[in-house]
Amino acid sequence: MAKILVIDDEEHIREVLKQVLERAGYDVCCAADGKEGLELLAKQGADLVITDVIMPGIDGVATVQKIREKFLNTRIIVISGGGNVAPQEYEPGAIATNAYLASARNAGADRTMTKPFDRRELIDAINELMKEE
Amino acid sequence: MLIVLLIQAVLMPLLFFTLAEAVERNLANAFLDDARLYARFIADSIDDLDFELGQDVVVEHLDSALLGGRIVYAALVHNDSVIASALTEPQEFDRFREDFEFGEHGDETYYVSLPVESGFQTGILHLGFDETPAREHFDTVRKSIVYALATYMLSVLIAIGYLSSAVVRPLKWLQQASRTISSGEVDKELRTKSSLVEIQDLTADLEKMRSKLVGMNAQLQQEIMDREQSETERRSLERYLRHAQRLESLGTLAGGVAHEFNNVLQPLLLYTDLALEDLPADSPAVENLKNVLTLANRAKGLSQQILTFGRQDTEAEFELVNLTPVVHEALTMIRALLPATVDIRADISSDIGDVRCDPAQIKQLLVNLCNNSFRALSASDGYILVSLKEVIVPRKLASEHPKLRDGEYIVLQVADTGVGMDPQTVERVFEPFFTTQDVGQGTGLGLSVVHGIVVRHDGEIILESELGKGTQVRIYLPLADEDGREDKGKRDSDG
Repeated sequence: MAKILVIDDEEHIREVLKQVLERAGYDVCCAADGKEGLELLAKQGADLVITDVIMPGIDGVATVQKIREKFLNTRIIVISGGGNVAPQEYEPGAIATNAYLASARNAGADRTMTKPFDRRELIDAINELMKEE
Repeated sequence: MLIVLLIQAVLMPLLFFTLAEAVERNLANAFLDDARLYARFIADSIDDLDFELGQDVVVEHLDSALLGGRIVYAALVHNDSVIASALTEPQEFDRFREDFEFGEHGDETYYVSLPVESGFQTGILHLGFDETPAREHFDTVRKSIVYALATYMLSVLIAIGYLSSAVVRPLKWLQQASRTISSGEVDKELRTKSSLVEIQDLTADLEKMRSKLVGMNAQLQQEIMDREQSETERRSLERYLRHAQRLESLGTLAGGVAHEFNNVLQPLLLYTDLALEDLPADSPAVENLKNVLTLANRAKGLSQQILTFGRQDTEAEFELVNLTPVVHEALTMIRALLPATVDIRADISSDIGDVRCDPAQIKQLLVNLCNNSFRALSASDGYILVSLKEVIVPRKLASEHPKLRDGEYIVLQVADTGVGMDPQTVERVFEPFFTTQDVGQGTGLGLSVVHGIVVRHDGEIILESELGKGTQVRIYLPLADEDGREDKGKRDSDG
């Protein structure tokens, strides 16, 4: 059974993705931020990681970079809420999440998706990535 | 001129009297000298005659002296007897008067007495010279003087007349002209008909000054106009930038809201989907949950529209496209969407260059604009005109819209003859959620989306509207160059 790690700081997104993926037949574990996710990945390993891009601490882009340092075969999907965010509270100006997604792709993410996506889109994307392996 | 005449009037009599006096004195002196000489000559001729015995001879001499015509009286007084010429006219003479001055006593006669001696006899010769011819001579000379002075006077008058017409009048005219110029009327060219070189030179100099003044005036006016122009440009640029800034900050705000919104929508959609899967098909909750799903999807659509305005949505695939078929397709769609009664006219050029764009977004943009125009049309009259053509953006327009540069653009225009908008409304039409429709009628996102699409295409949108007349929206999309890339290099070199 393929193993998927979901990293997102939003509890409800972690929860609903876990349910959706488990119903699709995957073994799912969750982490609330990049640090926790990387620890989990080091401990348990995963075939595919789904990570949010805007997170406190180690953000999505850094997470992708760290994963790629050790796990070349792990598939990565980076998801984002779209629009724009102030990257840190003390940093002025808004940065489009598109820019983050582009950086994540450069860092080695296999796929980026903008929320909200529906079930079908997500499962199709995962299946496609798994097939390539 | 008047003063010259006045001097003449004083000078003339003075001159006349002085001259007449001098000539008269001269003539009188000559007359006296002459008379005395002649008297001496007669006295000499009767010297040596015997006054008593030769009385007849003396008379003869005296007669012949009288006959000379210059003497009117001649007598010799000897021993108290008077030997006088018989030719002396019968009139009273002051026989023994001795005159010293010409014209003395006023009797036209000049008396001279000379002592004569003959042996032991002595006598006194009395002669009276006629002053009349000398006096006549005086008159003639006086007349000549008068004539000469009159001639002089006349020539002075003529000279004054000539000077006044040849010098004074042109000078007066020049003075008048320079006053006119100093009062600000500088448009009339200065030309003189005067034949005087000095006047011509003066006129030429003045004309040079005038034309320089005209040139400076024109230059100043040009500078003022330029300044006003640049001031207007600066102001419209300022307004443009303020507007752009406001739209940008609104976009940022909307983008931030949409981000949070999407993070909420994501679990909402998926939870509902999962719940629907769990329920038996006949559960009464199914219908409600399906409604929740529909509404969540609508919210997703709204969020995507907001992001289109905020320029933050996923990158679209831009391709080289000829807009003519795209616009035709969009028009077909719009005609199907709007009531058949709406008069939609089209003026679509097919001879246009390609632009880099996302055709789907261009169609979306056209649908939104036509929808707005349709809502602006009152009742049954009026129409919507959609046109597409290639244009060259003039410098002035480019200076007012910094996003535009001089060069070729494709212009997509949607114009209607609807109710139009007031300036306050025009100012805000691109803001998200700004709407003039009743609550629930429109989202207020239509033009925001259009704006976002245009910005993403590196284009410019110009909206003109007048209450009661209608609205025109022109979308400028940069023409792609032959390599298919947008003309970035050209823009950079254009500065």
